Amino acid sequence: MNPQGLVDGLIAGATIGLGAVGITLTYSILRFSNFAHGELISWGAYFALAVAGLLGAAFGFLTTPILPFSFGWTLPIAAIAAIALNAALALVVDTLLFSRLRARNSTVIIMVMASFGAALTLRNLLEFTFTGKPQYYTGALQIAIRLGGGIRATPDQLLSLVIALLVVSGVHLLLTRTAMGRAMRAVSENPQLADLAGVNVRQVIRIVWVLGAGLAAVAGVMAGLLIQIRPEMGLDLLLPLFAAAILGGIGSVPGAMLAGLIIGISEALAVAAVGAQWRAAVSFVILVAVLLVRPQGLFGRPE
Amino acid sequence: MTIELIAYGAFFLTMALSFAIICLGLNVQWGQTGVFNVGVSGFVAVGAYTSALLTTPPSDAHLGGFALPIALGWIAAALASALVSFVIGAITIRLRSDYLAIATFGVAVAVQLCALNLQPLTGGPFGIGFIPRPFSELAGRPLAFSLLNLGVLILLVGGLYFFLQRLARSPWGRVLRAIREDETAARALGKNATLFRLQAFAIGGGIMGLAGAVQGHFIGFIAPDNYQPILTFQVWAMLIVGGSGNNRGAILGAIVVWGIWAASAAMIGAVVPADQQARAATLQIVTIGVALCVILLLRPRGILGELRVVSRHLDARPRDAASAAPTKEVSRAERS
Amino acid sequence: MTTEGLVAGYEDGLPIVRGVDFALGPEELVAVLGPNGAGKSTFVKAIAGLVPIHGGRVMVGSTDATFVPPHEKIRHGLAFVPQTENVFATLSIADNLRLAADILPKAERARQVDRVFNMFPDLADRSGRRAGALSGGQRQMLAIARALIVGPTVLILDEPSAGLSPKVVGEVFARLDDIKRSGVAIVLVEQNIKAALAVADRAVVLVDGQMRHEGTPDDLAHDPRIAELYLGVRRNRVAIPA
Repeated sequence: MNPQGLVDGLIAGATIGLGAVGITLTYSILRFSNFAHGELISWGAYFALAVAGLLGAAFGFLTTPILPFSFGWTLPIAAIAAIALNAALALVVDTLLFSRLRARNSTVIIMVMASFGAALTLRNLLEFTFTGKPQYYTGALQIAIRLGGGIRATPDQLLSLVIALLVVSGVHLLLTRTAMGRAMRAVSENPQLADLAGVNVRQVIRIVWVLGAGLAAVAGVMAGLLIQIRPEMGLDLLLPLFAAAILGGIGSVPGAMLAGLIIGISEALAVAAVGAQWRAAVSFVILVAVLLVRPQGLFGRPE
Repeated sequence: MTIELIAYGAFFLTMALSFAIICLGLNVQWGQTGVFNVGVSGFVAVGAYTSALLTTPPSDAHLGGFALPIALGWIAAALASALVSFVIGAITIRLRSDYLAIATFGVAVAVQLCALNLQPLTGGPFGIGFIPRPFSELAGRPLAFSLLNLGVLILLVGGLYFFLQRLARSPWGRVLRAIREDETAARALGKNATLFRLQAFAIGGGIMGLAGAVQGHFIGFIAPDNYQPILTFQVWAMLIVGGSGNNRGAILGAIVVWGIWAASAAMIGAVVPADQQARAATLQIVTIGVALCVILLLRPRGILGELRVVSRHLDARPRDAASAAPTKEVSRAERS
Repeated sequence: MTTEGLVAGYEDGLPIVRGVDFALGPEELVAVLGPNGAGKSTFVKAIAGLVPIHGGRVMVGSTDATFVPPHEKIRHGLAFVPQTENVFATLSIADNLRLAADILPKAERARQVDRVFNMFPDLADRSGRRAGALSGGQRQMLAIARALIVGPTVLILDEPSAGLSPKVVGEVFARLDDIKRSGVAIVLVEQNIKAALAVADRAVVLVDGQMRHEGTPDDLAHDPRIAELYLGVRRNRVAIPA
C-alpha cells in the first residue's frame, strides 16, 4: 500500500488521538465511559463555525486565508473561543447532570445512561440549530505539497498534525510536572487518599472537564477543517475514541495519542485492503482484541 | 371513523408490544445477569434479518428466497440472536460494566455495518422488502387485520411474561439469583457462574431477536437504518421509565415511552409545517433526551421498579463521593 | 487535640463510635487499643472526616475541626495515614511527597520535601521509583513521610503494623519516637498491643464504641481486666472443636 495512505491515516489518527486524550482523562477521573464526549467534539467544531462566521461577517478582512493555509484569522480566533465555550458547556452539563448523579452515588450504569441521554440531546440540538447539512470553515481549496517519497500533504494537514502533537505534549507535561497534574493523577488513582493528602477533589474534577472539553474542541476544529462539519461527526468518532483510549491504557496520555495514531493508520490500511465502507469496523476489531488479550492496554495498570 | 381509530390504536399497541418484547429480553440480560448491554439494536437486527432472509420470496437484491413460513422465521430469528449473544457474551461477559457497554456498543455498530455493506447478502442500504405479514390475506380489512396482529402480539408478550416469571422461580433461576447476590459463594458451591450468566445472556438476546423478527414482519420492510443507536436508547429509556429489574415494568415502560414518542411525533406532524418537520423531529429527540436525564435524576427507579441490587459490582458507591474502593473500605471499617 | 462525646457512624441511626472523650497532648503518643469491631478505625476516620459525625466535637487546639472537610483537615494540623492504600502506587516516591507539599506556599515546598527526605534516607535513595514497587515497610514509611510534609501537629496512624513482619514493625515503630520529638503528637490505632505499648506514653481501650480503660502502658499491661478482655475474646473463638 502506498505511503500516502499511511500519511492520511496518521493525520486522521492525530484527531482521534487528541479526542482520545480527552476521553482517557475524564474516564480515569470520573470513572465512567462518557458517551457524550463525542458531542463535545461536535459542539467544539460548531462553536468555532458560529464564531468564525460572526467574525467574518463583522470583519471581512479576517477571512482572507493566511497563506499557505486555507483559513483566515477568523478560524484561530474562533478556535480559542470554541475552547472556552466548550469548557463552559462541559461544566454546565456536569453541574446539571453528572455531579448530581455523583452526589447520590449513582451506579456506573446510570451515569452511562445519563451520558447517552445527554449525547442524544446535544447532538439533536446541533442538528436543530444548524441542520444536518455538512458545513465547512472555508471554501478555499488547497494544493498538497509534495514531501517526497510519493507522499503529499496539504499545509492544513501538516499544521493540524503539529498542533495535535504540541497540544498532547503540553498535556503530558502538565500531568507530569505541575502540581495540578499531580493532583489529577492522584485523584485518578485514589480519590479518597487524594482528599486526605489535601487535594480538592471537586476542583480537580471541574478542571478535568475543562481540559477534556478543550481538547475535544481542538479535535473538533481539526476534524471540521480537514474533513467537514456535521452533527454526527462526534458520534462517528466515538467508537474509535473509546478504542484508542482503551488501547492506550486508561489514564495514559501518551498511550491515548499513540493508540489514536495506530488506529488512524490501521483504518487507512483496512480501507486500502477491504474498502472504505468497512472503516468503522477497524476500531471495533481493535477494541475486542485489546479487551481479550490485554485489557489494560499498552500503558495502563492491570486492574 | 371509529374503525380507523381502533385500527390505529391496535397498530400503536402492536408496535408498543413489539418493543415490550425487546424490553423483556433486555431485562433478562440486565435484571438476571447485570450485563449492561448498549448494543441492543444489533441483536434486534440479527433477528430481523434472519427471519426476513428465511421467509421472503426469491430476489436478486439479497440472499434468501427460502419463503419459509413466518413461524419458522421467528424461531430461527430467536435462535440466531441467541447464538450471536452467546458468542458475544463469551467474549465480553467478564468485563466491567462500562467496558462491556463500549464493547456491546461496538457490536451494534459492527452489525449495522455488516447489514449495510454485505449487499449481496442483506440488500445493503435498500434493505429487504416484501417480508410476509401475518394474516396478510386479510389486508383488505384493516380492522380485522390490525386486531388479529395485535392478538398475536398480546399472546406473545403474555406468553413470554409468564415464561420468564416461571424461569425466575425455577431451580435455574434460583442459581442465577444466588450468583447475582454472591458470586463467590455460588462458585464455591460448584456452580459454573459464567456459564449460567452466559445462558441468561443468550436467552435475553434470543428474545430480542424474536422481537426484531416480529417488528420486521409487522411492517413488511427492514433496512440498516432501523437499527441505529437510538433504538437501543429507546429500549433502555423504556426499561428505566417502567422500572428496571421488573418484567411488568418492562412492558409498562414500553407502552408509556412508545406512547410519548408516537404522540409527540403525531403532534409535530399535525402542528409543524412540512418543510420544518425534519427539524421538529430533532427537537422531539431533544425533549426525550432531556426527559430521560430528568427521570434519572428524580426517580431512577422508574414507575414500577425496584432498582434492586443486581450484583456487588454494580452497587452504589459509598457515601462520600471521593471514595475509591467501595465495598472494601466499608467492610474493613465495620470490623474495627 | 481532643474529642468530646464523639458520636460517629456510616448511618445516622447506627453509631459505631458512641460518645468518646479523648485527649491528646503535645508530643504525646497515645495508643488506641481494643478488640475487633470496637470502632477504633471508625473513631480516627471520623476525626479525619471520612466517616460522618453525628454528635460531639473534635477540637484541635482551640479550633473546632469537627466538620472541616477531609482535604482541609491538614490545614488544621491533622494528618491521617489510612491502613490500606496509603500511598499512590502509580506515582513516584518524589511525586507522592511533592503532591503533599503542593498545598504549601511555593517557596516552602522544596524545603519541606528535602526535610522529610533527610528524615527518611531510604526513601531519598529511591526517590524516582514508583511507590507501587516498594516493600510493605517502605510503603508505610512513605505514607508516614507524606503525612509529615505539611508539618502537622497531630499524626494519626491506623494500624501501621498491619501486614508487616515483626522486624519491619520494629523499624517503623522506632521512628515514631523521633517524630514525636520533632513536635508531632501521635494517635496510634493498633491491634499489635505489644508493639503499641512499647512506644506509647498513654493508652486507651475502646470497646463497643466507648472508652473503657485508660492509663499508662504499665497500668494496662498489669490490669487483669484488659487481659480478660483480649483473652476472653480469644477464648470464645477457640471454643469451636478442631
